[in-house]
Amino acid sequence: MTKDAAFDTVIVGAGVAGALIAKHLTDAGLTVLVLEAGPGTSRGLDDYTRHLERFHAASAKSPESPWPPAVGAPQPDTTALRDNDGYFVQRGPNPYGSSYTRLWGGSTLHWLGVSLRMLPEDFRMRSRHGVGRDWPLDYTALAPYYGRAEREIGVSADVADQSYLGVTFPEGYDYPMRRVPPSYADRVLAAAVDGMPVTLGDEEIAIRVRSYPAARNSIPRDGYRPAGAVDIRTDDGPSVPPRQGERCQGNTSCTPICPVQAKYHAGKTLAQADRRFLTVRVQAVASRILVDPASGAVRGIEYKRYDDPATAAHTTRIATGRTYILAAHAVENAKLMLASGLEGPRGQVGRTLMDHPALYAWGLAPLDIGAYRGPQSTSGIEDLRGGAFRARHAAFRFDVGNDGWRASTGAPDTAVSDAVMARNLFGPALRAQLGATLPRHVRLSLAVEQLPDPDNRVSIDPACLDPLGNPRPVIDYRIDDYTLAGMAAASDVARAVFRRAGVTDCTDPSKGSWFPSVFYRGREFRYHGMGHFAGTHAMGADPAGSVIDADQRAWEHRNLFLVGSGSFPTMGTSNPTLTLAALALRTADRLVEELAR
Amino acid sequence: MTGPADTSRLDGFVGLSALLTGFAPVQLLGTGMAAAYLAVLDAVLPEDIVGDLMSAYRQLPRGPERERAAEAEILGDPRLGPVARNLIVLWYCGAWTQLPAAWRAAFGASPLDTSRVVSAAAYQAGLQWLAAGAHAAGANPQGYGAWAIGPKSAGSSGLERGGA
Ligand SMILES: Cc1cc2nc3c(=O)[nH]c(=O)nc-3n(C[C@H](O)[C@H](O)[C@H](O)COP(=O)(O)OP(=O)(O)OC[C@H]3O[C@@H](n4cnc5c(N)ncnc54)[C@H](O)[C@@H]3O)c2cc1C
Ligand code: SF4
Repeated sequence: MTKDAAFDTVIVGAGVAGALIAKHLTDAGLTVLVLEAGPGTSRGLDDYTRHLERFHAASAKSPESPWPPAVGAPQPDTTALRDNDGYFVQRGPNPYGSSYTRLWGGSTLHWLGVSLRMLPEDFRMRSRHGVGRDWPLDYTALAPYYGRAEREIGVSADVADQSYLGVTFPEGYDYPMRRVPPSYADRVLAAAVDGMPVTLGDEEIAIRVRSYPAARNSIPRDGYRPAGAVDIRTDDGPSVPPRQGERCQGNTSCTPICPVQAKYHAGKTLAQADRRFLTVRVQAVASRILVDPASGAVRGIEYKRYDDPATAAHTTRIATGRTYILAAHAVENAKLMLASGLEGPRGQVGRTLMDHPALYAWGLAPLDIGAYRGPQSTSGIEDLRGGAFRARHAAFRFDVGNDGWRASTGAPDTAVSDAVMARNLFGPALRAQLGATLPRHVRLSLAVEQLPDPDNRVSIDPACLDPLGNPRPVIDYRIDDYTLAGMAAASDVARAVFRRAGVTDCTDPSKGSWFPSVFYRGREFRYHGMGHFAGTHAMGADPAGSVIDADQRAWEHRNLFLVGSGSFPTMGTSNPTLTLAALALRTADRLVEELAR
Repeated sequence: MTGPADTSRLDGFVGLSALLTGFAPVQLLGTGMAAAYLAVLDAVLPEDIVGDLMSAYRQLPRGPERERAAEAEILGDPRLGPVARNLIVLWYCGAWTQLPAAWRAAFGASPLDTSRVVSAAAYQAGLQWLAAGAHAAGANPQGYGAWAIGPKSAGSSGLERGGA
C-alpha cells in the first residue's frame, strides 16, 4: 500500500466543517491534506453549469437532482425513501427522511442557507427543561465563534430582528450583510399574524413573522466582501481569482442549486484557503482509521482512490499526519469509526441520531401574494422555539415559503396537469385559472425538534456493502411522543395562522407528494426530513455520556477530532450548519495553538 | 432547411398551440420552443395523428363557436384529445407525459413515449411560470429584491430593496 507524505493534519471530507478547518490551519502555515470521497465537478464554473443544466432537465426536481453520486461514493436519495431501496438500509420503524451530498463542497451545495443561532436554552435542555442532555458549552462560550462563522459563510440579517428568546449580540455587532429583503408574501402574512397569541400549556406566546438569517449574499456592511462563484480549473494550478459575490438574484432554487452561487457552499471556503499548504485529493474515499492499539492514537487513514466515477475500480492508499479530523458528515463519520472497530466509550458511536422531522401546511391566500418568486423562503415564525412547554413536548419553527406548493405538492406542474388532464381546461380559461390560483399558493414548513434517543442510530452490517466494499449506513429510527406531541401542536398553530390570515387551508397529505406517516392520538402526520442529521458522535463533559469533548476531540483517541452536527448532544430547532461551523472554528483555534507549538 | 411548406406547417402548429394554451402566437414563438415541440410530436406519434390534429385544427370554424368546436372536435376526440392535452402540458411545463395506457393500446405505442422534461431549455420556457407571474425555479431570475415588490395586482408599496 502506498503511503502519502505526512501532513500536519489529514481531514476527511471537503464539506463546510472540513473546509473551515482547512482554511484556518493553512492560514497558520500548517500543511493539510483533505480527502474527499466525491468528484470535484463543482470546482470549475463550466462543470458547475453542467450540474445546473442537469437540474433544469431533471423530471423529478428533488434536492439531489443536480448532484448525481459516483459509484464509489453513493449517497442517500429522498426519492428512494418510499421503496426503501436507496443507499441507506432503513430498519425503521420510521423511515429517516433526509439526504446529503458526497461531492467536493458537500451538502452545502444543495442546502437552503438558513443560518439561525441556537438559543441559550438549547444548550441546557436537561437543566432547564429536564429532558435531553446539556452541552459541555453554553451560548456565551460559542457566541464569539457564531460571529466569526457568520462572516466566514457570509450571513445576511439585521441584529434588530434576531434578538429574541435570550439570543444576544455584543454591543455594536451586526451581521456582515444586510438582511435579504423579506418577500411580499412575508409582509402580507406578517400584517395579518403579527402579535397573534398562541397558547402552549399554560403559556401564552405572541408570534410574528420574522426575517431569518440566510447564507445568501445581499448588501454588504462595512466593507465586507461577499464571496462569489468559485472557478478552480486545475488540481494544483492557480484558481481564477474569486470574484466579488453577486447578490441573490431570486432564482428560487437555493435547494438544490444556486445558479449564481449567491448562496454559500463549502467550495467558497476551500477557494479562499492558502493553496501553498493545502492538498485536496478528490475521489478518495476514507475507508478505515488505523489506530495504535496501546495508546489509541491514530496512525493513518486508509482510503480508496478511484479514477472513474462510473466504476468501482480503485487503489488503496494510506494518508498520515500529526492529527486527524473526520468531517465526512454525521452519518459517514460514525460509519467510518464503526468500520474501523471504534465504537467509542460505552459503544456510543452512531447512537442518538436526530433530525428535524417536518410537516408541510399549505393553503390558498385570499389575494395574489406573488408566489413562486424570490429565495425559497425569507422569513419564519421563531417564537415557539423556546419556552417552558419544552418540558412536555418538542419546540418547533416555521419557514414561510416563497415557492408556493412546490415542495408539498409538486406545483406548479401538478396544478397544470390537474387543470388540463382532470378538469379539461384549455385556452384562456386554463390560463386564467392558473393565473388566479398559482400566485396565491402559501406553504409553511413546520420543523420539529427531536431529542437524543440511544436506539436511534447508525450502524453497519458486513452483509450490506457499497460497490467499493465500504459499509452502507444501517438506520434505526423512531419518532417518539415528545416529537409527535410537538407535531400536533405545530399543526394546530399552522391552522390558526391560516385562519387568522384568511388563507384557505388546503393541507391534504393524500393530495400532496408522498411522505411517510406517523400517528399520534388518532392523528396522522406526514413528515419529511430536513437534512439535519445530528448526534452520532455527541460531545459531553465526560466520556460516560459522550464520544468527544467540548473541543470535538475523541475521548479515546487524542489526535482524532470528529466535527460536524454529529457532535451535537441535542439540536434545538435551529438548522445545524451555523452551529457546526462555529464549533469547527473553535476546534481550528485549538489545533493551531497545539500544532504551532 | 426550412421550406415554405415547413413554415406553414409550423404556423399551423403555433396557431393550434395558441388556441390550446391561451397564449398568443407571438408569445409562443418568443419562447423559441415551437419547432422543438413540433419535433417532439413528430417523433413520438404516428405521422397520421399529427396530420389529423393539424387538419382538425384547420377545419375549426372562426368566430364565437370556435372554442366550443375545439372542445368537441379535438379535446373531446378519443384519439386527438389526449394528444392535445399532452401538447398543452408540454407548453406549460416543458415536459412530455406518457399517453394513457388505453390510448397506447388503441392507437399505437412508441418507445419514445415516456414521461420526461424535454430539455433544459423547455423547462425554462414553461408557460406555467408566466401564467403565475413568476419565473422558472433556477432560471430567468427577476433580480435582487424583486420578490419584495408586490404582484401587479397589488401595486407596490413600502418595498425594501436596499441601496441599489
Ligand atoms: C435539502 C437540505 C437542505 C438543508 N438546508 C439547511 C439550511 O437551510 N440550514 C442549515 O443549517 N443546514 C441545512 N442543511 C444541512 C446542511 O447541508 C448540513 O448541516 C451541512 O452541509 C453539514 O456539513 P458537513 O461539513 O458536516 O457535511 P457535508 O456538507 O455533508 O460534507 C461532508 C463531506 O465529506 C465527504 N465524505 C463523506 N464520506 C467520506 C469519506 N468516507 N471519505 C472522504 N470524504 C467523505 C462528502 O463527500 C462531503 O463532501 C440542509 C440539508 C439538506 C439535505
Ligand atoms: S434565491 Fe437564487 S440567487 Fe438567491 S440564493 Fe437562492 S438560488 Fe441563489
